[in-house]
Amino acid sequence: MRTVLAIAAKDLRQRLRDRSAWVIVFVAPLLISGLMALSFADSADFSAKVGVVDLDRGPAAAGLAQVMKSPELARTVQVVAYESEAAARRAVDDGKAAQVVIVVPEGFTAAVGGSGRPQPVAVLENADYPLQAQLARAVTESYVAQVNAARLSVGTAVAAGAPASSAPQLAAKAALLRMPEQVRPQGLPDDPLKVISYFGPSMGMFFVLFSIGFGARGYFAEQRQGTLDRIAAAPVGRGALLLGKSLSTFVYSLAGLGTVLIASWAAFGARWADPVAVAALCVGMSVAVVCLTALVIVVARTERQAEGLSSIVVFALVLLGGNFVFAAAGPPILRRLALYTPNGWALRGFTDLGTGVRGLPAVGVPLLAIAAFSACVAAVTVLLLRLRRTG
Amino acid sequence: MTAAVRPKETAPPAAGGVLECSGLTRRFGPRTAVDDVSLSVAPGETYGLLGPNGAGKTTTIRMVCGLLRAETGTVKVAGQPIGPAAGAVKRLVGYVPQDVALYPDLTVRENLRFFGRLYRMPRRELDRRVTEVLELIDLGSRARDRVDSLSGGMRRRLNIGAALVHSPTLLVLDEPTVGVDPQSRHAILESVSRFGEEGMAVLYTTHYMEEAERVCDRVGIIDRGRLVAEGTTRELVALVAGRDRVRLTAGGDLKAYAEACLRLPRVEAADVTGEHGEMVETVVKDGRSLLPELLDLAHQCQVPVRSVEIVEPDLETVFLHLTGTALRE
Repeated sequence: MRTVLAIAAKDLRQRLRDRSAWVIVFVAPLLISGLMALSFADSADFSAKVGVVDLDRGPAAAGLAQVMKSPELARTVQVVAYESEAAARRAVDDGKAAQVVIVVPEGFTAAVGGSGRPQPVAVLENADYPLQAQLARAVTESYVAQVNAARLSVGTAVAAGAPASSAPQLAAKAALLRMPEQVRPQGLPDDPLKVISYFGPSMGMFFVLFSIGFGARGYFAEQRQGTLDRIAAAPVGRGALLLGKSLSTFVYSLAGLGTVLIASWAAFGARWADPVAVAALCVGMSVAVVCLTALVIVVARTERQAEGLSSIVVFALVLLGGNFVFAAAGPPILRRLALYTPNGWALRGFTDLGTGVRGLPAVGVPLLAIAAFSACVAAVTVLLLRLRRTG
Repeated sequence: MTAAVRPKETAPPAAGGVLECSGLTRRFGPRTAVDDVSLSVAPGETYGLLGPNGAGKTTTIRMVCGLLRAETGTVKVAGQPIGPAAGAVKRLVGYVPQDVALYPDLTVRENLRFFGRLYRMPRRELDRRVTEVLELIDLGSRARDRVDSLSGGMRRRLNIGAALVHSPTLLVLDEPTVGVDPQSRHAILESVSRFGEEGMAVLYTTHYMEEAERVCDRVGIIDRGRLVAEGTTRELVALVAGRDRVRLTAGGDLKAYAEACLRLPRVEAADVTGEHGEMVETVVKDGRSLLPELLDLAHQCQVPVRSVEIVEPDLETVFLHLTGTALRE
């Protein structure tokens, strides 16, 4: 065990003295994930200033304003009332006081009671705030659908014999009734996923995968320098040498990934629900990196081959695994391919953890998948090693 | 170039050797790199394995250090067989590779400590030995410097020092002076002489005849994988008693001239040598009396002679006599 630790400590010391290793595994992922966090800062803290012009002055129009001020939207929507459509238009064009405006026409409530012709609700948009406009449209369409349902119920009541004079009261009552929720989301996480909670580990993993190249090149460099022979001339078994080198790669990967995650949490506000599960994913990924490093060493014959091969492995994994694009938003083929990569599974786990899911439900399957991937790579490595020895 | 190749002439191996190799053979594909080599090194003895590049010295050493498995034959260190998995025996051996095998991005002290830790030395003993070795190789003042900041000679010394930290019983040095400046070379040879005096068994390979003469108690001459002769320098030189080495520097077709020389009755070996192939070396009986014939032959072969030197028999003469080729090819 002492020789294993000696080899691992020596390898780590060498890596820590290599500036490029610092930059690639510690500095670059922090820099890139930080930039991403800044770039997506607006979308992470989404808000909308919605103006309302109530030309109707009736209960149906008041209902729409109330929906906008409901507790569900209170954290996102700030409602500003305008007296005229012209004033609202100026405000929305400016974009400062209001980013989108809903204009409720005169006679809107009356139309619910069946008297008068139904008037359309207008949404005034600013092209610079498409998401806010989308939100206002969605809420308005939903409300108008409810109003139409109220109109239908009032019409039905009058047709059934209710006095026509009671239609406005019926309409007002119907307008205050809320439609029952048609869909109740089950099993979905409570928190929205922050961009940094996804791209922090994503970039961390991307750059930690580069340690495959560091490890493999380091092995061939030792072979070239003759130090590997020197170690073999000492009473050090192959197993101890392999363990020592694997241990250094493991610690290096774990330290790199851990540092990026801690910095993402402390400096950029990344959040994951379960620190133990986060640590388990980091350990799983580091084991996968160790196995991949061993595979590259066995397949490659020279330092240059090891460099090329490790680059291919890294880029194939990050492209398939969804480190550059949010996998859930990608096409189905990408989502399926991500399931063949350890980083794809790890990102799945981080996504669940980032949305509030804890423990095994978040990381159980990803950890099993990463373990299976690592076991397959290790088996192929051993097989190739044996073939090479007998060949 | 061909010449007379004599049967193996060996001195009896030293009894009770720290190192005992018997019938070592190793092939790489169709090529036999080491062919039935047997040698023995006693405690306090420095044994030189002398031969040109490609003679099989490094392959022999790799088998001695357990880096390569012998196809046939055995290697025993302190009576125990060595091999890639023989951990306990490997502790007795210190290996100095031909090229500098150190970590350039670690300091001098870190390199020594690392190689010492591989031999599971207790911390205190390791610290003590590292300090001793630093003094021995005269790098105490550079202990905290990175290896890549050292001169070539210093690196060579450290390369040897890294094999000494665990106080080996047998030190194996594979051409430790290749590419070294004269001053560092002198320092290395001084150290090697001292190791033997301190009771360490040393196996030293070289293709420099002067080094073998200077530091080795016994010399084994190896050529094309075979140990062709073995003994003290005096014993080996006695093999060519009454013979001289004639070195003739000339221009023209020296290869044809060397072949013509071999047809003369008293010429036993002839080979084209020199850094640029500008010399013909011959081993002859009574060089002084044969000199007019050699010069006459040079004239016939249209080889303009620039200088002639008759050298007293030495290991170079022995090698040329035994193998038909010069040592420094």
